[in-house]
Amino acid sequence: MGQILLLAAGFLVLVVVSATSVLYVSKSREDEGWVVHTIEVENQTNALLLEIRRAESAARGYLLTSDPDFLRDHREAAALILPELDKLKELTHDNPDQVENLKRLRSAIETRLDQFSREMTFVKHGEPARATALVSEAAAGDTSSTIRSVADAMRREETRLFELRVANADRSQRLASAVTIAGSGLVVVLAGISMFLLRRSARERDDAEARLRDSNINLEATVDERTADLREANDEIQRFAYIVSHDLRSPLVNIMGFTSELEELRGDIFRRIAALRGAAAVAAPVPAMAGDADALPEDKDRQLSEDFSEALAFIKSSIGKMDRLITAILNLTREGRRQFEPVRIDMRELIEAIVTTLAHQAAEAQAEINIAPIPQIESDRLALEQIFSNLIDNAIKYLKPGVPGKISVRGRTKLGFAVIEVADNGRGIDPRDHQRIFELFRRAGNQDKPGQGIGLAHVRALVRRLGGTMSVSSELNSGSTFVVTLPVNWRFERE
Amino acid sequence: MNAPVTIIMIEDDEGHARLIERNIRRSGVNNEIVPFRNGTDAMHYLFGKDGSGVQHDGQALLILLDLNLPDMTGIEILRQVKTNKYLKSAPVVVLTTTDDSQEIKRCYELGCNVYITKPVNYESFANAIRQLGLFFSVIQVPSAA
Repeated sequence: MGQILLLAAGFLVLVVVSATSVLYVSKSREDEGWVVHTIEVENQTNALLLEIRRAESAARGYLLTSDPDFLRDHREAAALILPELDKLKELTHDNPDQVENLKRLRSAIETRLDQFSREMTFVKHGEPARATALVSEAAAGDTSSTIRSVADAMRREETRLFELRVANADRSQRLASAVTIAGSGLVVVLAGISMFLLRRSARERDDAEARLRDSNINLEATVDERTADLREANDEIQRFAYIVSHDLRSPLVNIMGFTSELEELRGDIFRRIAALRGAAAVAAPVPAMAGDADALPEDKDRQLSEDFSEALAFIKSSIGKMDRLITAILNLTREGRRQFEPVRIDMRELIEAIVTTLAHQAAEAQAEINIAPIPQIESDRLALEQIFSNLIDNAIKYLKPGVPGKISVRGRTKLGFAVIEVADNGRGIDPRDHQRIFELFRRAGNQDKPGQGIGLAHVRALVRRLGGTMSVSSELNSGSTFVVTLPVNWRFERE
Repeated sequence: MNAPVTIIMIEDDEGHARLIERNIRRSGVNNEIVPFRNGTDAMHYLFGKDGSGVQHDGQALLILLDLNLPDMTGIEILRQVKTNKYLKSAPVVVLTTTDDSQEIKRCYELGCNVYITKPVNYESFANAIRQLGLFFSVIQVPSAA
């Protein structure tokens, strides 16, 4: 803003200085023209007086000598007087004082010219005495002195004008140079101020840039620090989960092992009991009393053995379940520790490969899988395979019984993210369960299919690690759409 | 004439040790089993007071090794055994709950002869031990020179 004002002011000053200079220069030229004019008027006045003198002196010569040469001279000079007078009139017509003077001068000169012509006539007619008398009369009269005094007055007036005009011209020149000097000085001052302001703002900008750089560095350092903290915490959790699940396995091996040993023992014990009873029966046969008593202990043994087996079976199935859960946690932590490697992936090809491997299940469920165009992305191939094979597998698994399945996979790009949807016309998910299905070991809806409640938890963990998000939109009995949003170019952070 | 093979079992879990022993016996192997509950005792026995292991020179040993021990890792024991000139010819069977592929790879790199994952499924477990019994029967023990 200040810069613009300064520039405008500088420009204005330049314009004013230029205009004023032009004005004063033309004024001083005009003044000089007037000075020259004054000198011309003076010259003209002198020339007129000279001609009058010439005419006078020639007339006197002719009067004294009657030499016709003088007469010719006089006539030449007298003939020039009036034109000279006209020229003077021409030059001075702008000055009323001089016009007035000139009028008087003209009448005096006309009177004098009249005397001259009368003198000449007298001389020609041989009356020199009358001519001489006329000369004396003229000399005594004031015609000549009138001419002289009027001419003097005119010259004085011109001298006065000359001085005045010279002073004017000088003043104009002085003013012109003063304006030029002042204007140039002002421009220089403005340029100086402008340079100072420019330098100051440059320094301020440099300072601001330095501060910005500093704060950027600080910010990066802070982000790095936080990221490192988070990574450490995450690693800690991973290690913890790994160790816990691992150490849980050790006692489980014992429980399973000794349960199996117990099973063996059970067999041994009941065989032993049967053998003992057989021996007892051989040693002391009591046929009369044994009718009821013999059948009863054997039934009791069978009952005991079955109870034994049932208890052991429950223990074993629980161990099996626990082992599967521990294995799942182990696999999850192993996945969490795996290094991702981003590569360019043709998503359509990847989905087609998954659909091929699931073709058998799809055929069994009478499901048709339709693949629409999907944008290419740069990400970890294995992780994407796990994500989409889980989602498509789920879509096939949870179709509505008796309704031909329609599953579609489609994608689009939005603000640097690829939005990929896996939609089905299956049994759907109650909106109350939309969060729950992503939790580890949690399932929703009819529990008629085998599963651990791990798939979606795993999928969501993978999507998050790939810098994406996922969500589901679904209603009971009206199909589900799982939406996975992944960065098109996943920038890989080495851990 | 081959000297009888001595089985050294380094296993901190008493239950596991018992299950292993039972299954070995069931598979008809009657060799002496020397059990250790921690790494330090096992190392003392294997390398002796001077740490050279010279007292086992010419003995036929088979080492059953768990990787998760309270005082040291089985990997360390494996490494020391396989770099000792008197012990390196003794077969080492790693028997552990860890089924991490990195760990397995590392054990084989260090010279482990067999790696068995302890399965929770008891049938598989018993089967693995019986396989081990077969393994004993084909073992070539260095002759006592």
